[in-house]
Amino acid sequence: MPKEVMVRNAPDNAYLHKDFHGALSTGIEYIHNRYGEEAVREYLRQFTRAYYAPLIEEIKERWLPALRAHYAQVYADEGGEVIIEETADELLLRVPFSPAVRHMREHGYMVARLFHETVKTVNETLCEGTPFAAELVEYDQETGRSVQRFYRRAS
Amino acid sequence: MIPCTDFIPAYSEMFKYLESRDGKEAVVDFWTYLSDNFLDNLREEAAKNGIRGCWNYWSRTLNEEAADFTMTVDDEEGAFSIVMHHCPSKGRLLAFEHIEPYRDYCEHCDLLYRRVLEPMGFTYEPDFSEVDQAKCSIVIRKKG
Repeated sequence: MPKEVMVRNAPDNAYLHKDFHGALSTGIEYIHNRYGEEAVREYLRQFTRAYYAPLIEEIKERWLPALRAHYAQVYADEGGEVIIEETADELLLRVPFSPAVRHMREHGYMVARLFHETVKTVNETLCEGTPFAAELVEYDQETGRSVQRFYRRAS
Repeated sequence: MIPCTDFIPAYSEMFKYLESRDGKEAVVDFWTYLSDNFLDNLREEAAKNGIRGCWNYWSRTLNEEAADFTMTVDDEEGAFSIVMHHCPSKGRLLAFEHIEPYRDYCEHCDLLYRRVLEPMGFTYEPDFSEVDQAKCSIVIRKKG
């Protein structure tokens, strides 16, 4: 074949590289193997507190609507689905499948044994310092189907 | 759920976490693990299609990452190159005001890809002299 050249500018494409889910999953498995289960949660708490600090501030100000807006955007961007039920004191996310887990299963990537902590620990950490708490009510390891609950803490 | 668009900060923060546990050695050990366990698609492309396999692999990944680049392949010369005018990963990390990139963030590329390609008979020559501006380049050649 002749010499071939490809030139791209950033706006030419949308930023959506789903193989990154496989890399994160591999990293979680590595931490699990080397340091144990609690280290996975510790890493995810540190990441969430650092990177999602602006979101956490927003949750402190706007409470559940901030979480609702965040996750509605996340699942829409990933081509996923989420059914949202919301009251003043509770937010329920029913996720029929995880776009991350689906991509990894379809492309043969290893799904880490503790991949569900990217939901559970991240949600719990997002609620730190707010009047709310998070619970992973259901989670299916094969598909990532989940029910995620955010609710007002008992005072 | 952590969306794939938030992977790069999660990756950078993972390097920091590992370094806090066991120093740089732990970070390098993870990169080695990642190269061995995550890059089968590059390994398979290069094994099946030679230097053209590099083009096939990076054609998909760099477009999905919305990178700003010039990529060239010359099958007769057995040469492939990427000039990254603006790396979407490092650029994203540099743009954040509330987190700092891991100090040696860009080193992962060198280890991950070199580890796959050199044992398969390729040379891998990066230029990381401008990574502080999210710019770099690599040249890969088939030996012989």
